[in-house]
Formats: sequence, C-alpha cells, structure tokens
Amino acid sequence: MLHAFGCGESEDGLGTELSSIFTWKFFTESIATDGESEKMDILEVGIPGKWEPNLPDGHISHFALDIGGSLIKLVYFSTNDEFDVVDKAGRLGKQSLGKGRFHFANFETSKINDCLEFIQTKQLHLGGCQHLEAPPTDTTIIKATGGGSYKYADLFKEKLGICLDKEDEMDCLVAGANFLLKAVHQEAFTFMHGQKEFVNIDHNDLYPYLLVNIGSGVSMLKVDGEGKFERVSGTNVGGGTFWGLGRLLTNCKSFDELLELSHKGNNRMIDMLVGDIYGGMDHSKVGLSSTTIASSFGKAVSDNKELADYRPEDISRSLLRMISNNIGQISYLNALRFGLKRIFFGGFFIGGHTYTMDTISVAVHFWSKGEAKAMFLRHEGFLGALGAFMSYGKHGFDDLMFHQLIQSAFLAGDKIGSPTNGKLSENESI
Amino acid sequence: MAGLTEDPELGINDIKEETERNNKRIDKKVGVVAEESVQGEREMAPPAGGLIHRSGSRPQLDLSKAAIQGNFEERNPTILLPNQSDDISHLALDIGGSLIKLVYFSRHEDQSIRKKTVKERLGISNGNRRSYPILGGRLHFVKFETSKINDCLDFIYSKQLHRGGMDARWHSELPANENTVIKATGGGAYKFADLFKERLGVSLDKEDEMNCLVAGANFLLKAIRHEAFTHMEGHKEFVQIDHNELFPYLLVNVGSGVSMIKVDGDGKFQRVSGTNVGGGTYWGLGRLLTKCKSFDDLLELSQRGNNRTIDMLVGDIYGGMDYSKIGLSASTIASSFGKAISDNKELEDYRPEDISLSLLRMISYNIGQISYLNALLFGIKRIFFGGFFIRGHAYTMDTISFAVHFWSKGEAQAMFLRHEGFLGALGAFMSYEKHGLDDLMAHQLVERFPMGAPYTGGKIHGPPLGDLNEKISWMEKFLQKGTEITAPVPMAPPGTTGLGGFEVPSSKGGTLRSDASALNVGVLHLVPSLEVFPLLADPKTYEPNTIDLSDHSEFEYWFTVLSEHLQDLVDKAVASEGGTDDAKRRGDAFARAFSAHLARLLEEPAAYGKLGLANLLELREECLREFQFVDAYRSIKQRENEASLAVLPDLLIELDSMSEETRLLTLIEGVLAANIFDWGARACVDLYHKGTIIEIYRMSRNKMQRPWRVDDFDVFKERMLGSGDKKPPPHRRALLFVDNAGADVVLGMLPLARELLRRGTEVVLVANSLPALNDVTAMELPEIVAEAAKHCDILRRAAEAGGLLVDAMINTLDGYKENSSSVPLMVVENGCGSPCIDLRQVSSELAAAAKDADLIILEGMGRALHTNFNGRFKCDALKLAMVKNQRLAEKLINGNIYDCVCRYEPLR
Repeated sequence: MLHAFGCGESEDGLGTELSSIFTWKFFTESIATDGESEKMDILEVGIPGKWEPNLPDGHISHFALDIGGSLIKLVYFSTNDEFDVVDKAGRLGKQSLGKGRFHFANFETSKINDCLEFIQTKQLHLGGCQHLEAPPTDTTIIKATGGGSYKYADLFKEKLGICLDKEDEMDCLVAGANFLLKAVHQEAFTFMHGQKEFVNIDHNDLYPYLLVNIGSGVSMLKVDGEGKFERVSGTNVGGGTFWGLGRLLTNCKSFDELLELSHKGNNRMIDMLVGDIYGGMDHSKVGLSSTTIASSFGKAVSDNKELADYRPEDISRSLLRMISNNIGQISYLNALRFGLKRIFFGGFFIGGHTYTMDTISVAVHFWSKGEAKAMFLRHEGFLGALGAFMSYGKHGFDDLMFHQLIQSAFLAGDKIGSPTNGKLSENESI
Repeated sequence: MAGLTEDPELGINDIKEETERNNKRIDKKVGVVAEESVQGEREMAPPAGGLIHRSGSRPQLDLSKAAIQGNFEERNPTILLPNQSDDISHLALDIGGSLIKLVYFSRHEDQSIRKKTVKERLGISNGNRRSYPILGGRLHFVKFETSKINDCLDFIYSKQLHRGGMDARWHSELPANENTVIKATGGGAYKFADLFKERLGVSLDKEDEMNCLVAGANFLLKAIRHEAFTHMEGHKEFVQIDHNELFPYLLVNVGSGVSMIKVDGDGKFQRVSGTNVGGGTYWGLGRLLTKCKSFDDLLELSQRGNNRTIDMLVGDIYGGMDYSKIGLSASTIASSFGKAISDNKELEDYRPEDISLSLLRMISYNIGQISYLNALLFGIKRIFFGGFFIRGHAYTMDTISFAVHFWSKGEAQAMFLRHEGFLGALGAFMSYEKHGLDDLMAHQLVERFPMGAPYTGGKIHGPPLGDLNEKISWMEKFLQKGTEITAPVPMAPPGTTGLGGFEVPSSKGGTLRSDASALNVGVLHLVPSLEVFPLLADPKTYEPNTIDLSDHSEFEYWFTVLSEHLQDLVDKAVASEGGTDDAKRRGDAFARAFSAHLARLLEEPAAYGKLGLANLLELREECLREFQFVDAYRSIKQRENEASLAVLPDLLIELDSMSEETRLLTLIEGVLAANIFDWGARACVDLYHKGTIIEIYRMSRNKMQRPWRVDDFDVFKERMLGSGDKKPPPHRRALLFVDNAGADVVLGMLPLARELLRRGTEVVLVANSLPALNDVTAMELPEIVAEAAKHCDILRRAAEAGGLLVDAMINTLDGYKENSSSVPLMVVENGCGSPCIDLRQVSSELAAAAKDADLIILEGMGRALHTNFNGRFKCDALKLAMVKNQRLAEKLINGNIYDCVCRYEPLR
C-alpha cells in the first residue's frame, strides 16, 4: 500500500508523524540556456538529463518557517549525502547525482526558544548545514509565514540575527498544497472507518478544489490554479478550540495527549444523541439516526454531575467529534456553494490523526449524503512551511512533475530530538 | 432559577356579538359557554354591553350587519372550540432535550365577582338589555427543565390541565375523560410518553417536531405585526413582513441542537440542515467549565465577560496587526478557546465570565455561519432564528447577526422572533383540529403589556396569581426587582471582545435576563372582530404614529409629560372609585406599574416592539384597566356632559340664525374651540381649574382667528357649499371620529353632525369602545344624543332613524319604525380604548359603516395629530384639532400651543 513511501508514518496515531518524510530523488536537467544560477538551489525540472548541482550561495537560506498560533513548523532542505539512497529508478541512475532532503520539524509556539536553539544548533540560519562554506551574512533573510512571523520577527532578529521575510500565509498554504498534489504521488487519500485509500488525481482535473487548513483556527480556500485562490470561508472553531477547551476540561498537558485520550472515549456519555431525545428511536422523518449527535455536550446539562465526574476520555472524544463535525459541515457547505468536488483537509489538527480524519470524513459524508468525500494530504501540517520554502526566488519547484519525485520506502522516521526538547521530532531522509 | 417560568400569554377575547339574535345563536352553539365567559372574563376586558346601541332593527346597516354576521359564522366557532369542547385538550407540550415548553389555554381563574360591580360602575342599569358574551381566555407559556419533568407533571396535575384545565370546574358534571389525548412534540414526547400515561393517565399524541415549529413560526409571522426584528450591534429594529413575500424563509431553531428548516409555505417545508453545536452545547460545556447552576446564570455571566483572555484573536497571532488581506481585523476570533492552549493556566485561573462569553460567541457565531451558508445554497434572503438558546439575549442575537452579516457581506439578514422558544409548543397547540388560529390575521390581535401577567407567569411555584390583591402585593415586590432589572450591568471595557471587527455590543444590560425578555412579550388579545379600516388608501404603508419614539429625545420628552401627568391621573382614578383604601392601593400599584413600564422603555425603547406615542398612551390605559380602574374620568365626563348639554340649545339657536356659510365656519371654529376640553393635555388641565366650561368655550372660540396654522377651510367649504351657482351634492355618509366627552363632543362635534344631517348626509359617530381619559365612549354617546335630541328636531329624527333613541329609551324590541323622513345618525364603536387610533385594527362595525362613507372627520390630537396626521384615505378627509402641546406644535406644524389644525384632504 505504502509501497514507496510513508513507512515512516506510524499508524499508531501518536502524532509523531506530524513530521513526515519526504524522500526525494531529484532529477534535473539544466535548461540549456540556463544562466541563472540563483534559480537553482534545489533542483530543476524536466526529463532526465544532466544535473548540475548548484550550491546555494550564502544569501539563500535553506529553511522556511510557518509560525502559527500553536505550532511552529519548520522545513529545511539539505543536500547531505550521508544516507543511502534506494534508487528504484535505475534508468535515471547516472545522472541523478543530486540528492536533497526535506526536513520537517515542529515546535510548540509557546516554546519558541527551543525552535531558536534548534536553528542555532543546526546552523540553519547560516545557510544550512556543515557543507556550506559561505560565510554568514548579517542580512540573512528567511522566508516565514503564519501570524507569528510578524509577532516574533524581532525575536528572530535579536536572537539569530535574521530577518523574517513574511510570506502571505494563504499563498504559502496553496503553494504547498498545489506542489504536493501535483508532485507527490499518492499525496491525497480518503479515510473512512479506519480505511485509508489513496486517490489518484488527474492534474488536469485538479482545480478547482477546496483547501481546508485546520490550524488553531480554520481557513477555507477555493483554489483555482497556481497562485489563484480565494479565502472563501473559515471558522474560529478549530484545532485551538479542541486543544484549548480540552486542556480546560481534562488537564491534559499536550495536544497529542488529549487526542490520545479521545481514542479511549465514548462520546455518548456526554453528547445528547437523537436517540436520547427520542427514547432510542430514530427520528427517521428527517433522516437522523438515533446515534446522530443532537447536541454536543448536551447531556452535561441534565445531569447533576460535576466536571470531575466525567471521564476525560469521553470529554475528549465529544470535543473532537464536535469540532470535526463542525469543520466537516462548514467545509462541505462551502464546497457545495462553489460547486467544488474535492475538499482537502490539512493543518496540524488533522496531523494524520486517524480519529480526526475519520470524524471529518463522516461529517462530510453525512452532510453531503455521500456525495462528497473528505480527502487528506499526507504532508498536511507543513503546507505553509513548504509554501514559504518554495517562495524563495525561482526554485523551479512549480514545474516539478510528480513522477520526478521518488519516494523511498525506507527510513522510518528517525527522531532527532533537539538538544533541549525530547519531544521534538524530526524525520528526514533523502 | 432553575424552575419554570411562564411567559406572558396569548389572551383570547372573543367576538363581542351585538344582536339579540346572534346572541341566542351563540348560546345555542356553545352551550354553557356564554355564561362562563361572563365569569371568566378578565378584569381588563371590555365592559359588557359596549355595543348596546346597534340593534338588529337598523335598516341602514343591514348589509354591513350581514358581513358581521358572516364574520361571526366564519370565525367565531373555531375560536371558541378549544375552550369549550370536552374532547379537545387545553394543553400542548414541546418536550425538548433541555427544556419542556408548555402551552395551555385557560379561562381566568379570577372568578369575577367584579363583573357586576364593573357594570354598576359603568352605570349600566338596564340589566335586561343583554349580557354580551365576550369569550376570552389566554394561552399561557411555561417552561421547565426536562431534568425536572416531575415539576412539570405536578404543575399539570395541580392545574388539572390534563382534564381540560380550570374549565373542568365548569364542566364538573362531566366525567373525567379516561382517554385524554394531549398534543406533544419534541423528542421527549416519545421518551416520556409512558411517564405521562402513568402519572396523569394521558396519552401523548406525538406531533412531528418540524411540523410544529413551522406551524408556530408561520402563525407568529402572520398573526403578529411586530414579531420579527433584526438585532445588530445592540440596535433592535422591527421588520414588517409582507405575507405575500414571507416565503421562502429559513427557520433556524436553536434548541439543544439546531435545526435549519427551509419553509416554503404553510405545511410546506424541509429540514435542510442543522448542527449539533447548539444551546445544549453552550449549557453543557458551560456547566462543566463554570459550575453555573442554570442556563440563565451562565448567560448572565457572559455579560460581564471578556473573551479576549481565552480566545485567540487574529491580533494575537499577527502581533496586533490586522490580517487585512483577507479582511480579518485584529479583533476577529481566530480560534475560540485558542488561548487556553499556550498558557500554563488551569481552568480555575480563568474567570467563568470570560469562559461563558467565549463559549457564547463560539456557538452563536457558528450557528450564524452555518445558517447563512444554507440560506445561500437555497437562495433565501431571510433567516429567522428561534428557540430557547436565543431568548432575547442581546449578545447572542448580535453575534448571530454579525456572523450572518459578515459572511453574507450584508446580503442576508438574521431576524429574530419575539415569541421565540415556544414555536414548537405553539405549533403543537395549533395542531388540535378546529382551533381556527390558522386564519388569524395580524389585525385581529391586540398586544397588551400588562405588568402583572409576565410576573404572575414569571416564576410559578403554585397557581398563578388570580386575585388583584396578590397582584398588587406582587407589584410591591416587583418594585425592588424592577430596580434591579433596570440597574446598569457593568460592561467589559470596550474594544476587547472583538469578533471580526465587531466590538463589544452596545446592548443594554437589561435585555439579558430572561425576566426582562419575558417583559418583551406582551399579552395577545385575540379579537376576531377587528378589521383593517377599509378606507385606508394603502394599509401596507400606513403607519399610525406621527411621532416616532425611537428618537430618544422624543421619547424622553413624552416620558416626562406622562410622568408629570401621572399623579393627576392617579388622583382622578382613585376619586372615580370613591377614594377608598382599596382604590388608593390600586392607584399606587398602577402608578408603580406604569412608571416601571416607562423606565423599562426609557432603557430599551424597543422592548415592547415598535413604539409610537399611540402605543405609549394605550399602554397607560391598559395599565389603568389592569388595576381595575374602569373609567377614571367617569364622573368628570358626566358632569361636563350635563353642563354642556345645558347650553347646547342656546348654541343651536345661535347657529340657526346664521347664514349657511357663516354657520359652517362657526361650526368648524366650534369644533376646534371645544377641542380645548381635554384632560389628556396638561396645559388644559390647568385651564380647567380656572373657569367654567362655557366660559372657556366662548373664550376659546373668540380666539379662533383665521387663518389657522393649518387652514384648508376654504377648500372644505367649497366642497360643502360650492362656489357660485354650483351646488355640490352632499356626502353620502360621514364618519365622525369624536374625541372628548363634554363640550368637545356636545358643543363641537354634535352641532357639526347636525349640520351634515341637515344636508342629507348620514352621520356615524365613531367613538371608543373603552374609556380612555375623558374621551367619550360609544356607550355613552346615545344618551348624550338622546338628551340633545330633546331640544333639536333634526337630531331627534336622525337618531330615531339610526335606532339610537330606541335603545336609549329602553323600548320594546320592535320600537323601530321605518321613518324615512331623515337620514340616520348612528353610533359605532371603534374597537379600541386609547386616546389614539390605529386604523389597522378597528371594530368590524366601523369597517362595515365605512363602506358607504365618503367623508371622514378625525377630531382631536390623539386621532388627528398623534396618529393619522399623515394617514391617507380613499375618501375626503377632514382633520381637526387644537394643538395643546408646545413641542408637538413646533414639531408638526411649526407653530405654537393652541394653534389649530384644519386639514382637508379631498379625494383626488
């Protein structure tokens, strides 16, 4: 199933796959007339041909940031050769000299210092890793997106001496998503009742689609093409709400912990179901089954119980269902409104968590009466950071065709803890 | 707090039937009902016998009478049925997940011993005339928390509602019905069916929830004029919806969960969407997070909250900057509860107020958004929000409105219903066959805002207050409570609770409480005999009020005027009841109640719907009646009538000596001059203390220097007398809307009527059905006419022709004799009891009388200036008044106090 990719993604839902892995095999040909050296920091596109490594100069940085309300997402690229490459595409062999890796890391925004330290440690702000010899410059410019790129600009300047070049958040999201959908084989999948199913999308039939990015809040973007999109809706009930309310209600210490709780919960303890109101009967006239949630947390009304009397697991589950349902519904309504067939969900709330994907899928299925399907991106969560990364000059990513990316099926996410934060996860591969 | 609360009720005052013949028919049809109704009539109902003076023997009104009869045939029985029929229950339930809503019909428990005394007070001596069946009742609205269903069962049991309610007393000879069936809706109708069977022995007949919601909403939107309103940034505005354009609309019922229903017509609808994030979520999560003990507590907390401490705003993410590219301001909520993430705070570290507000915002905004999206999908412009979550709460409404406005970019409007919360229960009630409520029209409902009703129905822990003394005691308690209600509620500092650029709503604190919102809903009197005045040029655009009190300075002015006048009024009222201790106590209670109304309105002018001066003046009269002051000016009116009648013969002789032209002018001058006798105008009350009637009248008439401030007399004269040789034909029939008793009617309008009669124009004197200040009532007029007729042949013959004298002289049933020697002089009641008149709601006999009329004369400030000054008619109209208020004079005619208005608007 995951034949060439994604073995690193655990299906255990523990959230470690927040940072997923790209294994790239880059084939490039330098366009004959090429004289634009600045164009080349990563790779060029095309039919297999000659690859000319263009080492970035000191001004071109190799990482980009997405500083959201809850999480900081970091993408960096290295041309490090230290890993073996399982080259499945023999025909490309000789010329495929260039190997790059995308690294994905995330930090809680509240622990931004960990992030700064990580960057420092990795010397990312100096233009990348050990093999970059270019001297650091004072004017290093780093692409960043997310609200925090404004808020923390001074901090980055002060601590690392770098300027954050603010890229529009939506631009980045869309660029990231378009890139992934076009360039990565089997990027999109559906997830219903625990069944993951990859969806092959014809590039010519990709647009328009609805991109729902679930971060702290939720943005809904109608994407009509490269750089052509519109924020059509959104909701303030998003991942931040889940986590925020969840913390208040359960004392969980982290998002992942809260999410894990939800797996063991039963929302019937707290939600008022149609069956609770109708004495176990379906309210069939309006097509509501007895297990449909009539009112989230509605049962907490009638009981004489206190908060402490409810299991945190049940609370977490109810909360997750409430928020997922709601996002699924509003997304579907917007898709319907614009006649969009496809809805892609991304953002840290999804984070590959099977249960949130499941509930969102169920919601979309429910409201669309099966007409629409929720789809997810394997690299959700890093859309913004990836988009920001891609906004460096003319890196040429835009034209990447998916068959030119080969994902190697090795390297289960090796977690590299940052020096200061054991929970930091970073997965990388070539 | 958790207990039940009862909203005000729908009062059903049935048709007042006017002929013996019809009367008998009613008796036959409804059996015992007629008797009961006399007992059961509430104290503020029109006194029996209000229509005495139209006998079935008046040939002139034969046609119109048939129409009235038609109304009777068509509407009456259906309205009577829910009250009378043994097999139809008086109770309907909406058993939701969180709340049980109950609607029941009752006659009045206060068994009127008063009825007789009312009659005595009114001086109705001839008891053999008839006792008009004024069949009335009310629909009560009560709610219980579903978790306390036993309270609900006890309540039903204690009131015997399952056995036909209080009426069971009257039906006591009937065996209790073993198979009582009660209409119920809501999920609980299934769940609790067994419980009801076991405890009360009744079967719940389950009505579909959506059917009920839609039926309830359609009924309210059709039947109640100011039912729907918008609520943006604390500003409430009533929306009058053309029935023909009502459909389709989206009905969003926010109960525990939320249902969204596309309504295409009566009984035509589809549930298109919904959300599980609703009132139950707010209350459930709120309970877990704040330990509030009731929904209302939780809601109240939100009023003092600041959601900024918990919600993550766009500004929090973007370091205080707006994310302007996508139109999000810094104060937009990016993520509800998003700030609870990054802090190291525990639940206890957050203020419950802030949590409640964040929660409220989150849920309201979400509902607004999903509703709008659905409206958009179906191309619907109007979205009505109802259900218990709304409950008149300003923040909730503002937030929902904002969401709809924001997402629709102003294209769609969120609207709210004043009787929200009871849609389902009302719909279930309506599902009883043959209640006839479906056919109700807005003009048949009169909304009253009594002080006692919302409170007797407020927190019921026993039978509602039936006795006036209880009500007064309650008033005394209310006084304290009232000050709490009107006390300002501290607000969060401005600019912090943003929601997409939406700052702190400026809504007043008082709108928060459910008590306060209960005050927003009045009692609906159902008067099937009311009709739209047929001569209105355009009933749809007709607005009775000349002065719009939504202008706050205007309201403040009238507030002061009414407040200053209050003590004088109380004195009069108490004196009219003999100055007894009881009367004093009631007088005090009235003063307090009315002051409380005023204070409430001063705080929120839209509290009772769209407010005009006419409504305010009527409110005062209703308030008087509520405390059983039937006719505060009764003795004054009598005295003045007598004094005026004494000088009338001299005046008539004087008039008859004049040329036709001079006489016409003198008559109009006389009407204007006599209009100074007005106890409603403070300036004139002072005058009263200084002179006798005839002196004032003469002085006043002498001051009538033309041109008047508004002077169309010459045009009117030309229409009456023509110019040169051309003699225009006389009007066929004139409707004279009279104002005050005493000199005003006797020396002003009656001589004018006489002149019209002499010219061969039928005259219909239109007077109030119920007393208001010193206005003459339809019931008093015949005696005045009879007295005047003693000295005037014209009046005598006309009155005889109009059947007035027959009645006034207590004659045999066949007293009428065809007397074609004169056109008739008739009297009809206008259907109201206010110094002003809303011509959208007049009595059916006035409507009938209007059909042949080609001239209407509106006299006095209340009917010609405060209301109808801008009214347009399908016939010639003459508006006569002396302006006895400086401010009004300046505002309306750019003149001064005691200026006169003679506005003639011929039909073009």
